Amino acid sequence: MAKSTTTPLEQTARMLDLVPFLLSHQGISLADLAKHFKVENDVMLDDLNTLWMCGLPGYTPLELIDLTFDSGYVTIRNAAPLAFVRTMSSSEIVSLALGLDLLLESADKFGEEQSARIRNLSNKLRTQVGEHISIVSGSQTAHRSLVATSIAQRLPIEMTYFSPSSDTKTERTVTAYDFFYDNDVEYFQAYCHSAKSMRTFRVDRIVSAVLSDVTQEAPSSQGQKNERIRVGATIRVLDRSSAEAFSLNYSELREGAHVTLEAFSPEWLIRAIMGGAGSITVDEPEEIRLQLRESLEATIALYE
Amino acid sequence: MSRKSERLVNLTIALLATKRYLTKSEIFRTVEGYEGSPEAMERMFERDKDDLRSLGIAIELGSFDPLFEDEAGYRISPSSYKLDLGELDGTDIALLSVAASAWTGAALERESTSALIKLASMGLDSDSEALSLLAPRINGTNENFTVITDAIIRRSEIEFEYVSSDLTKQRRRIAPYSLRGQSGSWYLVGQDLEKNSLRTFRLDRIVSEVSASKKSNTYVIPDEIPDPGADEVREIARIRVRKNRGHQLRSHATVLKTDEEWDEISLPIVDANWLLRTILWHRDDVVVVEPSSLRKQIVQSLMELRVLHG
Repeated sequence: MAKSTTTPLEQTARMLDLVPFLLSHQGISLADLAKHFKVENDVMLDDLNTLWMCGLPGYTPLELIDLTFDSGYVTIRNAAPLAFVRTMSSSEIVSLALGLDLLLESADKFGEEQSARIRNLSNKLRTQVGEHISIVSGSQTAHRSLVATSIAQRLPIEMTYFSPSSDTKTERTVTAYDFFYDNDVEYFQAYCHSAKSMRTFRVDRIVSAVLSDVTQEAPSSQGQKNERIRVGATIRVLDRSSAEAFSLNYSELREGAHVTLEAFSPEWLIRAIMGGAGSITVDEPEEIRLQLRESLEATIALYE
Repeated sequence: MSRKSERLVNLTIALLATKRYLTKSEIFRTVEGYEGSPEAMERMFERDKDDLRSLGIAIELGSFDPLFEDEAGYRISPSSYKLDLGELDGTDIALLSVAASAWTGAALERESTSALIKLASMGLDSDSEALSLLAPRINGTNENFTVITDAIIRRSEIEFEYVSSDLTKQRRRIAPYSLRGQSGSWYLVGQDLEKNSLRTFRLDRIVSEVSASKKSNTYVIPDEIPDPGADEVREIARIRVRKNRGHQLRSHATVLKTDEEWDEISLPIVDANWLLRTILWHRDDVVVVEPSSLRKQIVQSLMELRVLHG
């Protein structure tokens, strides 16, 4: 998201990086420049105005950095001392190294030469920040890129999908429409050709997937998102894993508190309540309580 | 417009452009923005040096001539200021740019944005279009991320509040060893300095700001970091699981025998609480055979749930 406020130190860093960027992008529009730096236009304008006052001691027009930006396009001259691209901080290097970790996971898509290149770049960065910060299995990169391709090219993917709420793995052919985030988990909306309706999937639950070259008719616009069910419940025992299962805020939970739980399916909800081992009880609706009791009886019967 | 950022940029330009060391009095006289009493300028300069250092810009202290006791002066050596990633071509830049784009909307977005800017400023043509469909994406918006990565690199101790399994908050002081992303979560491994043992923490269970000690290199990260608790002898559970069910349990288990309806599997009890809950979660698709203590606990939980929902 574009930033609208900024500290003097952030501004300093941006101004130092602006000079080499402008030298290699002469005549760039102010709007594009702001977009690259992920700041609002006003912030970028203030950066340029400030940079325009900077230069070598003496500060006569001869020593000042020469910027032209009044027509909406920016050019720079007389900026020799700051022409170098500034060295990267360890956090910047870490951001690149972790990104490369993810790329390496889908290295089979690149071929030998490209993977060797990625490994090489990774080693280069790791000499500066060490081996201790890494992604060992994102496992989503390859699948995510397939979904992205499905969205971009309107091609269906054939996937094996794990659905924990029914504890099953299913084969499906889907055409994806878009990604979205909920509580830091990435989902995508897709038309499921097997179910002939719109469904929501989690990227990290794709077990395996391939792009299908058989064109399947999919509706051109998205249908409705899945309805959520809501139930009233009571917190009996403070418990981290139940809180996490229902995305409840740790600090707001009290013993005896009434909360509303949300779920996509009653089956998942009942499993999560049972998995909570009595830390949360369902108060209403009665229909869910009934299903829960049936589930409990069936399980207890196995131990009798 | 900020006077401070203007002064910092001017100071950087002056110290980068100079071939010899500039004395403090030369800096105060010539660099735009230093005003006030000598003491005020002195304080200003000290803060400015710290600020530039926090941006990764190293200011060297030296003197004109080692044979004379000159007043010490300052400069920034272009070689330490300049980005040096060795030989790179357009394809390398494209790969690094795709790697940086993975952070869109996530913890290191700011850092990866400035890294992207620097890559784009190197004046190499890169074609990342072809790679853009790879669209790797890193999840997690944890605001403590950079503090922890910096602390690992600097070998500095950190402190934070952690939510334990009963939701109580505990103050933890640890020497951080490693941070790894695994299946969508971030795990921090470090030596707990109070408990004096190796522990794993999940980042999203840290509920305070992480504060890092200013002291660097206060510990050494061992070459081989053992898996916390890996050497414990574990009890084995025997469990019956319906065919094509119980995928979460099967991934940790070996199959002992099977019949038409059920598979009998065995798995080591690593986390008893996790196992209890996972078995309950699977409802009537899973039955515990042994140990009897686990069987008893499951029955007890089921009975309790029945009373609560009766």
